This record gives sequence, structure tokens and C-alpha cells, in this order.
Amino acid sequence: MNPIAIEASSLNKIFKTKMGLWKTKTKSTVAVEDVSLTIERGELFGLLGPNGAGKTTTVKMLTTLLLPTNGTARILGMDVVKHTAEVRKHIGFAFSGSRGLYNRLTAIQNLKYFAELYSLDPEFTRKRIPDLLELVGLSTCGNDKVETYSSGMTQRMHLARALLHDPEVLFLDEPTVGIDPVGSRELRQTIKDLISFGKTILLTTHYMAEAEELCQRIAIINKGRIVALDSPDALKRRISGDSVIEATIQAVQAQVLLDQLRVVDSRTVVELKNSIKPEKICIRTPEPARVLELLSPYLNPQYIQELEVRNQTLEDVYVTIIKGDKE
Amino acid sequence: MKRLRWGLIKRQVAVQVQVITLNLYSLGLFVIQPAVFTAVGMLLSHAAGNAMPDLVYNVIGGGIMGMWSGLVFTSTFDIVDDRRTGVLEFIVGSPTSLATVEAIRTLTNVIAGLLSLSVAFIAALAIFGYSLKNVNFWGAGVSLLLLLFAMWCIGVFLANFLAWSRMSGTFVDYLEMPVAFLCGFMYPIRILPVWLQILSGILPIRWALQAMDESLLGNRDLAFLITHWAVSIGISLIFLGITSWLQVKVHDNIRVSGELSSI
Repeated sequence: MNPIAIEASSLNKIFKTKMGLWKTKTKSTVAVEDVSLTIERGELFGLLGPNGAGKTTTVKMLTTLLLPTNGTARILGMDVVKHTAEVRKHIGFAFSGSRGLYNRLTAIQNLKYFAELYSLDPEFTRKRIPDLLELVGLSTCGNDKVETYSSGMTQRMHLARALLHDPEVLFLDEPTVGIDPVGSRELRQTIKDLISFGKTILLTTHYMAEAEELCQRIAIINKGRIVALDSPDALKRRISGDSVIEATIQAVQAQVLLDQLRVVDSRTVVELKNSIKPEKICIRTPEPARVLELLSPYLNPQYIQELEVRNQTLEDVYVTIIKGDKE
Repeated sequence: MKRLRWGLIKRQVAVQVQVITLNLYSLGLFVIQPAVFTAVGMLLSHAAGNAMPDLVYNVIGGGIMGMWSGLVFTSTFDIVDDRRTGVLEFIVGSPTSLATVEAIRTLTNVIAGLLSLSVAFIAALAIFGYSLKNVNFWGAGVSLLLLLFAMWCIGVFLANFLAWSRMSGTFVDYLEMPVAFLCGFMYPIRILPVWLQILSGILPIRWALQAMDESLLGNRDLAFLITHWAVSIGISLIFLGITSWLQVKVHDNIRVSGELSSI
């Protein structure tokens, strides 16, 4: 058995838009550029990036909904362009938001319809639908119309639809967007359960904590290119073992503190986080003891109101990488 | 040959009826609109000095008008709404081809259009007191089946064309009235200029409808009917051939342009 579930090699997508009254001018937009990745069977892989970075376009190429301009992609060894119909039988996908379901139908009617699109055996469907509704926590409202569902319920319904034909590979595009914290936690648990059932999942998300909690490996994508790819721990190590010191300060005293911190070595980065009063400064440093020593005379409400020392989080890594890429 | 997927047909028809057919908009389209056309036809006929409205061109013509408009609007609405709601992506992303889904949906839309024709027939018999004494029933029956087939062939062609891009709906809207005028829904084709009569010849609906109209008026000329049926079937099959080519192009094009979704 091929141990690779998802494989993309130099994937490119350029959208061409006709412009002008007679549509004679063409504007090209590079959405994805030279994306290569390999995801093993049973792996939960995260694709992170800012809005418009190319996450959804990448997912849509891998799910056969978009044709790549260049490059190749294989799912379970099958080429997404040459073996489109076969690939579709083995993948499931769910996109964020309330779109993608017939709102005037009930959850069960929607699932029965999509089961027919996947040519599922009626007996299998009859047993599968209650099981799935149970899995996603919608078993009590399967006969309710989807238009009466909250965004969290719709999102879980998307997951049920994606799992209907028991696919080996799942693509979840921002599955917890718009869901309350309790709902998100439940959905994350469901995703963990799916991994324990042997599914391979490619997850795109904006939420760093979610990616850190769930994903074995993460790719950070920006402006259509993968700018980092590793495990969350390795990514955190990548920007050294820096500590982060966050201090809430009196705005009028900001300059005094910034002057003090200038004497620390060049590897320390000081950043004024926002302009509302009181302000926050964020210090990334390999020498937290030295910084704290410098700040200690100012540890009183006139200067520093709060001080927190912590290790780098995935969010810090993400911000550093994306900012570095911008510069 | 692929086996017929009865489960999909049943489910797709059920979804289509629940989502598209059974709402006030569609019922108005299939019932109120043909009634308006029939009323206008009767007024014109009366103004021309006729004591009774014409059975074929005023009363039944209104019903055919309702069938055709219903088909154009529901086919447009199907794709536009699926694009807007994001369902189109999930249909295209499934192993079932969009063309199969469109074929079943269009069949439902065509059959729903029979509601217009039924209302027109009931009105002809109950309100206007027309007699069915002279009607060539078998001729009218075969012609009606071929009319439904012709409408289905044009419907699946339009549905696939509509999937092509977000702009397609606008062009299809432009076709509604010209096709109705060219096919002679509410007047005989012979009153059109010759070049328009020739142009109307490319529409299979025109041939099946002409055979049905003549059968309703009692024409039993087998040669006339068979010729019209054969031409209608031939042109319908040409439309199907173009559609099978078009659906492959559409499937590729929408995945190049990214126009599966409206946002």
C-alpha cells in the first residue's frame, strides 16, 4: 500500500480575468505558486496562512474542484487531473460557512441526496446516516430543516456530509470558523477521533491553537508559496529558544522603557503592539533575565502595570514568518 | 452502457420538487403566467373580430408559453442558486457528473411544465367549451411526447451552458421570448417572414409543436405528422450531441476559471 496519501509537486494556479468592455485585456493573478508537499496516510496536516494566501485554492486543486495551471497532485497515488472521478470517490471535503447544503431540506434529506451522488448502497446509507449524525452531535435534529440550524450545527453537518461515503482522505477548510468555543472543542475532538480511525486529514485554519493542538505537521503558506513546513515544535524551535516578555505599560512612559531596552543585544526584538492606552510592548529575547533586570526599576504602576514572561507560541512563529516574508 | 440510476433519479426529482417546484414563484410561473398569455391572446383574437378565441394559438399556446418560460427560469434558477448556495461545488466534486444531475433536473422541470398545459386544456374544455370531437388523439399524444423530449434536449443544453460561467444566465434570459416567437407558440409559423420560418427550423420544439397543433385541429395526415416528428427527433438529437460535447468543456472550464462558486 502506498504510504503517501496526498502528494503535490510544484503546484501552480493562475487565474485569468478578462477586463474591459470587450474583454480584450487579461489580468493574471497568481493564487498558488510552486506548492509541493507530501502527507502520509493517517497524518493530520495543517495548512496555515493569512486571508488570500492560497490555502483554499490549494485545497480546491487537491479536491479536483480546480485544475492546476502547472504541476501535479496525487491522492492515494491517483492523479487529480487524469483520474478525477476515481479521486472523488476516495476523498471528502468540507468548506467553512453555511454554504453547500440545501437549506429547505432536512439534514437527513440532504445526506440521502449526497449519498445518491456517491452511488452509495441504500442499505449502507440507511445505517450510515444515523451513525454520522450521532458522531457530529446532530442525532436529535436530523429531521429539522438545515435553514433552522446555527452556524455550528451547519458546520458539523458539513463534516457529516464529507464523511458520508467513508472517505480515506478528508479536506477540512477552516472547519471551526464561526463556531462558539464549546462547539469548536467538540469539533476538534471529532477530528481527533477521525485520525484514530485512520483517516488522513488536511486541515486549513486561522486558529494557531487549533493547529498546535491537532496537527502533526504544519505548512505556512503566504502569497501562494509555502514559506515553512515542519512539526509545530520544530517550527517553534526554528525561531530559536527566544522567550517572549509582554508588558502592559503607561503610554506616556513608553519612550523611557524603549530607551532602556535599546541597550540589550541585537537579537532582542522590541515591538510596540498597539496604540491604544495603556500600551503593550512585546519583547522577544534570548536573554529574558537581562531584560527583566533592566525593567525591574520600572515595575510599578507608574510605568509597568502587568508583566508576563512566556515561551514562544505557534502564533509567534506564524507572525514572525509571515512578517519576515512581507519584508 | 451505463445502468440507469433509479435511486439518484428518484432522489434528484424529490429534491427538485421540494427546492424548486413547490414554491410560490414556480407555481406562479407555471400557472399565472400562462393565464396572462392566454388572456392577452384572447383579447387580440377578439380585437381581430373572432367571436371565439383560437383553441391552439390562444388557449393551448398560453400553456406552451408557461411550459417554456418555466423551463428557462427553473433551469437558470437551478444553476444560479446552486452557485450562490455553494451546492454546485459539492455536486461537481462528487463522482456523479453534473450533466447527469442536470439531465434529471431538467426532466423534472419539463414534467412540471405539464401543469401549465393541463391548466390550459382544462380552461379550453371547461371555460371555453371546446369539443374534443375532431382531435387526432394519437397524433397529439405522440407529438406531446416529442415536444417534451425536444424541450428536455434544449433544457439540458441550456443548463450546461448556464454552468459555463456566471454570465451565462443573462444570455439565456435573452433567449426566452425569441424562441417563443420563433416556434409559433401563439400564432401559426406561416405568418412569419420566410427567413424567420427557416431560422425557426433549427428548433426541435417548433416541429413537435406544429404536429401537436395540427393534431388538435384534427389533421390525420400521416406523412405530415411523421415528417414533423422525424425532424423534431433529429434536431433534438443534434442538441443532445452538442450538449455532450459542451458538458466536457464546461466541466474543464469551470475548474480553470474557478466559477463553481459565486464568491
